[in-house]
Amino acid sequence: MAVTRTSFRWPGWHHLPRDARDTLFLLGVIGWTVLPHLLHLPPWCAALTAGVLLWRGRLALSGGALPGRWMRIALLALAVALTLFSFRSLLGKEPGITLAVVLMAMKTLELRARRDAFVVFFLGFFLVLTHFLYSQSLPVAAAMLLSVWGLLTALVLAHMPVGQPQLRQAARLALRSAVLGAPVMVLLFVMFPRIGPLWGVPQDGQSTTGLSNSMRMGSVAEIAQDDSVAMRVRFFGAVPPPETMYFRGPVLSRYDGREWRPTFRSEFAPPVRTALRATGPAYRYEVTLEPLRLPLLPLLEATTEVEPIENLPLVQRDDLGWGTLRPVTERLRFSATAQTRFEYGPLQRSAQLRELVQLPEGDSPRTLAWAAELRQRPELAGADARALAQAVLAHIARGGFSYTLAPGFYGEADPRAAVDEFWLDRKAGFCEHYAAAFVVVMRALNIPARVVTGYQGTDPVPVDGFYIVRQSYAHAWAEYWQAGVGWVRADPTAAVAPDRIGRSSRLTPAPGFVAGAIGNVSPVLLAQLREAWESVNNRWNQWVLNYSRGQQLDLLKHLGFESPSWEDLALLLIGALSVLALLGAAWAWWDRHRQDPWQRQARQLREALQRLGVPAAAHDTPRALAAAVQARFGARGGTLAGLLHRLDAQRYGRGAIARPSPDWLRAVRSEVRTLAKA
Amino acid sequence: MSPAEAIKLPLRPFGLAAGAVRRRFRAWWQARLPRTDTMLLTQRNVYILPTRAGLMFALTLMVLLVASINYQLNLGYVLTFLLAGSGIVSMHLTHNTLRAMTLHLRPPAAVFAGDPVGLAITLTSPASARFGIGLRMEAAPESTLSWADVPAGGQAPAHVSFMPQVRGLHEVPAISVETRFPLGLFRAWAVWRPAAQVLVYPRLERPAAPLPSAHPTPGGPATGRRTDGGELEGVRGYRRGDPLKLVVWKKAARSLETGGELVSRDTSATVQQQLWLDWQRCAGLAPEDRLSRLAAWVLAAERAGADYGLRLPGVQVDPAQGELQRRRCLEAMALWQ
Repeated sequence: MAVTRTSFRWPGWHHLPRDARDTLFLLGVIGWTVLPHLLHLPPWCAALTAGVLLWRGRLALSGGALPGRWMRIALLALAVALTLFSFRSLLGKEPGITLAVVLMAMKTLELRARRDAFVVFFLGFFLVLTHFLYSQSLPVAAAMLLSVWGLLTALVLAHMPVGQPQLRQAARLALRSAVLGAPVMVLLFVMFPRIGPLWGVPQDGQSTTGLSNSMRMGSVAEIAQDDSVAMRVRFFGAVPPPETMYFRGPVLSRYDGREWRPTFRSEFAPPVRTALRATGPAYRYEVTLEPLRLPLLPLLEATTEVEPIENLPLVQRDDLGWGTLRPVTERLRFSATAQTRFEYGPLQRSAQLRELVQLPEGDSPRTLAWAAELRQRPELAGADARALAQAVLAHIARGGFSYTLAPGFYGEADPRAAVDEFWLDRKAGFCEHYAAAFVVVMRALNIPARVVTGYQGTDPVPVDGFYIVRQSYAHAWAEYWQAGVGWVRADPTAAVAPDRIGRSSRLTPAPGFVAGAIGNVSPVLLAQLREAWESVNNRWNQWVLNYSRGQQLDLLKHLGFESPSWEDLALLLIGALSVLALLGAAWAWWDRHRQDPWQRQARQLREALQRLGVPAAAHDTPRALAAAVQARFGARGGTLAGLLHRLDAQRYGRGAIARPSPDWLRAVRSEVRTLAKA
Repeated sequence: MSPAEAIKLPLRPFGLAAGAVRRRFRAWWQARLPRTDTMLLTQRNVYILPTRAGLMFALTLMVLLVASINYQLNLGYVLTFLLAGSGIVSMHLTHNTLRAMTLHLRPPAAVFAGDPVGLAITLTSPASARFGIGLRMEAAPESTLSWADVPAGGQAPAHVSFMPQVRGLHEVPAISVETRFPLGLFRAWAVWRPAAQVLVYPRLERPAAPLPSAHPTPGGPATGRRTDGGELEGVRGYRRGDPLKLVVWKKAARSLETGGELVSRDTSATVQQQLWLDWQRCAGLAPEDRLSRLAAWVLAAERAGADYGLRLPGVQVDPAQGELQRRRCLEAMALWQ
């Protein structure tokens, strides 16, 4: 070790011994593959992985011995212990990926047999996949494509045992496999039936924005903005105004003092026909919905019609929502029709509404007192639900409330006082707090009310006609009931933070250094670049990321299937693969019967000469054949002999040609005919 | 049967039976292959099967597919299908690496039993370059593979060897040629039975026993001078088989200049020592051991530059010397009985 430390010098990439070069290349590929993970894994993981890879690289350069088994076991134990320490578990997405990254690095310490190398390759392919759990953007895809190419190159290199093959050559050979395999990839990608998950995927503790089937006010101190896409909406024709873009998710009407839950309805109960009285223009739109893992579709209020979705029965519920009989776990694409100006719900106060004014015993006493006080105000004497709601919203707008995504916990001391604490003391929160408090106040005023969750708004600028709804647009608002009208939407968050709703001006991030530089030189160019990028990105989203069964079935319709189904798709795929295999077999057959063109010409020449009675054997040279012709026909055979001498020149002379000339054979045949006739 | 095998026998009767069946199947199957010194690899004689790594790869693909389905990752599908496509293509590439290649075996030289027979094989590729082609004797373990790359439209040499244990005229055992290029997911191989035969001399006795004493040629010209066409005494024209040390270089040079031939010293003119390597002299040894000793003596006598003859029961090689004589004696012993 001491010797290498003092005398080590980089010998240059081309002068490395082959083993060292191959190992360093593989280490580089592994480093590139795990690099994007190191940003969201614990720091110790990054340090350990980098340390092990560098150590292995140093061993490769110095030719030192690999560490013994106990060293490796100790490292593994350390990694497992640190993972347990960081995540309190070994299962789940993050601990799993952490362990996989560390194992990948450690496996390089025992790269001896070919089997070890294969373990590294296959683990590498798996790690590539894990990146897509975080992001499926174009840059990530490009980086991972490079990674796969590198892994395939290393694999090819491992199977070129002779000499010192060039890396470039191995890379070219790997690329050839991938490019030749591309048609199979495209075929499988397009035709492989997209099905829902085979079993439930464990969800990690979500503290990000998004839809869920329950709401607990004040239980989240801070929400992280999850900018991933929830759905993409494209309107056929007119686009509704942004402030009406409420996508309705779970309606939460049961309140137990802590948690808001949907009303329980048996799935076997007869569906209640909603008394929906829609007016105004109808908007037809198409939705590409990411897996929600909830048994519903968050559709625009109020969607009157949804085209049937294969394999997913839909139920129109009486609370204006669209339910499904099972959680939606796959990406869906479908179209629907909505009318944003509508009234619905019972016109008369019924028994069903009675439970929607109930509050748990002893809940939020100070807020209840505040509500009773509001009722006593002279200007509100005899006011109806709408006037009371306006008064409460006015209080929110002017009562010193503020909107924040990090309000801290509420009701830590006494959960029943959480609403009191928000409504009367701290007055800071996000949509959940406002919606919950509003509903509690309305119920205290004896007005039926409930919380509605869903998404509100879209990205302000559509990309190629697609409006993007992100998980961070998840929202909670309220509905109260008014006699003679039905349910009325009230969005208390809009009262405190109007720009949260409508989203007319979303914050645009500051331009990066390069974009800034380009923007200074040529704003038009920057705009064009941005537009091109958006367009490419959108194609990517449409054709790769959002490719779903809807698109697959559309494709089948284009191919002439009347009512395509899942089974048709599978059959078509099997058929296409069989055709490909048959083509491969046919090519192999043709290849076997293919003859060298020169040999074929030689055979045809022999046959022609034998017809003349000239003994021509397979080993006779053209010159010998010319002599034989001359010996048999004398001067008359001069032309044919000349042709044969020309063949000699064609094959071996200075003017040699690569492929036999058909003209020459034609001349020989005509000459043979002349001689035969004479 | 060695003691180790005797102990193994009751422990793994089925394994042994399966091994026997496999051996018999292999013998039957190989007997169907025609023997040829030049073999063209075609669709019909190249076999291909996935390797263990290939099965592992398939398993990896299944895991990737299930992960893509469960997490609804379209890019995961892309990755899975890209790898699947590459894997399928690699099957064709692996098969292509062997197909349409020609193997040619040069006639092997004779060796002594227990010495390796080097087989020089020429690989010819008609069109594309081929990589990672391994050759070995079919019966030898995989670790003995010798690797070759064949350039496009060119040839490459490869060497394998085997060690015959008994003398005689042997057929070259089956050679297997295989490749896993490019991804190692599939192994394509072909079995080749060359038609060439290799002559195996008796095993040399090591260390060799001392040569028996020589006797002056009975009845031969013990001493004498002969004049050959006015030339100096004791010199004659070069005959094939004359050892180089007998060439009289000075005279030969002069003779060559005048259009003549090489000139050798006429050893018959000096006292001719004659040596009979006789089967009877090796009494007390097993027949093969006698042959071993005689073979060693042939080499020693040749080195000593003596005339030697060989007597085996039923075979006699008259005394002479030189490469031809050596070969004649060794051949006689190799093929004796």
